[in-house]
Amino acid sequence: MIRTESLKKTYQDGTEALSGITVRLEKRFTSIIGRNGAGKTTFIRILSTQLMPSSGEAYLDGIDLLGNPEKARREIVSIPQESAPIGILTPFELIKMYLVARGFSFKEAHDQAIATLDTLDLREYRDKPSDTLSGGTKRKVFVCMALASNASTVFLDEPTTGLDPLSRLEVWSALKVLQGNVILTTHYMEEAKELSNEVLLIDSGKVIDQGTVDSLLSRFKGLVRAESLVPKPDTMRIGGLYIRYIKYSEAQDYISQGFDIKAITLDDVFIKHGVTLES
Amino acid sequence: MNLKFTLLFAWYYGFNTILRGPSYLIAALSTPMTLLFLVYVLSHGTLLAFAVVGGFVSLISTISLSSASDAAFLRIQLRFQDLFVPTRTGPTEYMIGLTLSYLVFSIPGIAIYAIFGYFLHIMTAIRSLEMAGLLIVLVVSTASVSFIISGLIKHIRNVWGIAAILSIVMTILPPTFYPYVYLPKWALYILSVSPSTPAAVIAQWIFGLSPALPIMIPVLVVESLVFFSIARFMTRWREN
Repeated sequence: MIRTESLKKTYQDGTEALSGITVRLEKRFTSIIGRNGAGKTTFIRILSTQLMPSSGEAYLDGIDLLGNPEKARREIVSIPQESAPIGILTPFELIKMYLVARGFSFKEAHDQAIATLDTLDLREYRDKPSDTLSGGTKRKVFVCMALASNASTVFLDEPTTGLDPLSRLEVWSALKVLQGNVILTTHYMEEAKELSNEVLLIDSGKVIDQGTVDSLLSRFKGLVRAESLVPKPDTMRIGGLYIRYIKYSEAQDYISQGFDIKAITLDDVFIKHGVTLES
Repeated sequence: MNLKFTLLFAWYYGFNTILRGPSYLIAALSTPMTLLFLVYVLSHGTLLAFAVVGGFVSLISTISLSSASDAAFLRIQLRFQDLFVPTRTGPTEYMIGLTLSYLVFSIPGIAIYAIFGYFLHIMTAIRSLEMAGLLIVLVVSTASVSFIISGLIKHIRNVWGIAAILSIVMTILPPTFYPYVYLPKWALYILSVSPSTPAAVIAQWIFGLSPALPIMIPVLVVESLVFFSIARFMTRWREN
């Protein structure tokens, strides 16, 4: 279980990335959703002991992440945003090296790397230089590192950004194999919905909402989203789009007025908070 | 200390890289060998012994400094360093592993210079040992400078330009390929900011090519300790 108290981070250039986050994360899969620059990466880097906050507290299963990072590091794996394997090294070498860095013996790391590559169906890529692999396979290599390490908490920063839909599905299936708790950042709503037991919405360094996907969507029960590209009265404007939430039974009327009708998604939770996403 | 990681990193990123991309090896050898050739031609062979002795220093410095661009590339572009922060490996093991992986590239060059030294009758067992000790200290200092520079780099576009400038300042201007006595004293001391300068002066002394200047031993040792201490903090391991 992760617990933070008033976690704040202001960078040296004066940018306030986090402005006091207090949360408890205890579900198996938690997605942290937010726009670029919302503070997701800063938050996850602090939780994974890569970055010190300006103030506040953070604990992982009672271990002080700020004061006792060495102890916490035995329990966590963090796959950074846009991380890429060294092209000339093979997936096997990268995973083995990572496991040795975590304290495995050479033999344990060797055996574990082979077993995990097999588990994620990466056997055929095992000894190929990583720069010959597809984007999706490269991401799976990192998931493989996390899986092989047997860590109790895995942090993944935007694990599928930039991947094609098929590769994204492959990575999702790999993520589901991970043991322990998984905390990932994303700005893909469908990813959060597919993977998460709990969602944390962050904007401008603050938590603006938290809950299960179902509980967040239940606030829109019986509603649909009416969208128009031309200005309409009593609508919210988001870029060139005019939006209103209406009852499902009113949909036909709105269609005749030139609106498009869309089913409710997690996007709408953000829109209700006055935030737009690049889903 | 996680020495297992250091050795495995050096093995994979050094030896395996050479096996899969031999062009890196040729690139690492090209500058010192070219300078050796130029010194031979321009001095009609009279400074060849200086160039061979300086070649050791130049080769080690060049290769250690190349790790500056690579350290920055791994940290900024591949986010590779971040991957290892939440592990049982610390910045020192990572730095040494990366440095050792680069030193693997210097082995053929050192062998070539040693052969030249043998034929010029300046290479003895004692001198070889002294030279090996000198080069180890030089590695520590120049690699530390690399990590300090790479820690200061914020944008990957600046990496290669800075590495090229450093290479000139730290390996070509110092008296690596010519007798240090050619330099006025004030210039020698200014150039001593680069660890290659005291290393080159000591090397010329070891091989009996120039008069002794013992002050350069503490200069090199102190520089190595100071640069190494600064580098540990500049690797941006756990950032503030």
